[in-house]
Amino acid sequence: MSAVLGYEPVPENELAERVWVDACGSHRVAVACKEELLAAVRELRPRKGARLVLLGADVGELPEAERLRLLCRVGFVPADGGLISSLNAWENISLPVAYHAPARLPGLLAQVRALLDELGGVEDSLLGKLPENMTLYEKRLTAFVRALLENPELVVVENLAAGLGPTKRRRVARFAEVYQARCPGATYVQLEESRGGS
Amino acid sequence: MFAVYRELEGTAHLLTHTVRRLGVLRLPPVMEELVRQIYFTGASATGGIVLRGAFIGTLIIAYVIEVLAADAALAVKMLLWVVLREVGPLIAAVLVIQRSGTAVATELALKEISGEIASLRRMRIDPQDYLVVPRVVGMAASNAALTLYVQLIAVGGGMVLSSMMINVPLNEMLEHFFQLASPLDLVYSLIKSVLFGAAIAVVACYHGLNPGGTSINAVPRAVIRAVTEALLLVMLLNVIFAYLAYGTAFFGLVTAEQ
Repeated sequence: MSAVLGYEPVPENELAERVWVDACGSHRVAVACKEELLAAVRELRPRKGARLVLLGADVGELPEAERLRLLCRVGFVPADGGLISSLNAWENISLPVAYHAPARLPGLLAQVRALLDELGGVEDSLLGKLPENMTLYEKRLTAFVRALLENPELVVVENLAAGLGPTKRRRVARFAEVYQARCPGATYVQLEESRGGS
Repeated sequence: MFAVYRELEGTAHLLTHTVRRLGVLRLPPVMEELVRQIYFTGASATGGIVLRGAFIGTLIIAYVIEVLAADAALAVKMLLWVVLREVGPLIAAVLVIQRSGTAVATELALKEISGEIASLRRMRIDPQDYLVVPRVVGMAASNAALTLYVQLIAVGGGMVLSSMMINVPLNEMLEHFFQLASPLDLVYSLIKSVLFGAAIAVVACYHGLNPGGTSINAVPRAVIRAVTEALLLVMLLNVIFAYLAYGTAFFGLVTAEQ
């Protein structure tokens, strides 16, 4: 059986349950093994004994070249943004493009500004800010824009609304809509910690 | 013993990786990292070196003339030999270890612990390409530039200060300098300083990327190991160069066959 996102934790982990998302769209998934699953999705390396399925592929059985190709197709946004501390927001957003496809750089700033506007707009100064000067929302927004520029087929995010005020929560709630408007047929999965493993 | 072997293998791997992957410097983000590294290690370190260099030059001339009762020619010869061949590269190396070696080890260890290295891998960016290659190249180039700067300041400043303090005419010292100076001395010291810079960077990067723990406590331990081992490696390289240049090492304990 194929899944957009599937995870079978190590059998010894009694609290953890199986995760299976087999339809595109927007999903909120509450799991007890959130950290374990996030680590597996971040590096596309499940723990020994666990099984991770992404976009129909069993990640543990993929050769290295296929695994790297899969990294382009799966976006990932952790709660802290996962930004590089020595780079400002623009450099963080443009880093993958500058590294893998420098020819795309000239038109990138306009794309980024358009995307930021779609996501609710931000102050002009954001792009020049270092992560240490950003708010939690700005870090998540920056990371989300960076992920979207790769046009991924699946985006896995941590609970991006956690720790934010009501206004920013409303803006974060639009992330999935904007993503699916830009990438129809894609899947957005928000992972949350379930209480008590039930 | 196994840990020592692992460290040697790890640093050798980083060095060969840097040599093999020099081409990544063409990528805009890697080039930016290189420019940052050269600015930090080379440009912003020059201020601290002026006084040290000038004092060392003056001390050497003063000692040779006053303590050994030698003439200006011998004083300048000693200055050239000691500063150009030995002290210049060593002072620059110590300064680079103190400023940039510690900074690189700390920065990379924090990146590893905070998950930034994992973020780079997530973006399909090899951390060794993006972080190690520009640091090794940048520190090697900056150390060579700093060495030249130390030599210039120590020799020039030493002669100027000596002429004022111990009553040796400046033009007499300059005359001896141009008679005795050889471009080979400069080339020898530059080769040494490039290798010193690369060695310091590789050791700092290795310990930064392998902090030996996932808590913040691992950072100072990584920095201490990086500084200690970088100093040891620089001294070892210096002994090897001394052996190659003079046929003797460890104060004459090891001598080349004649």
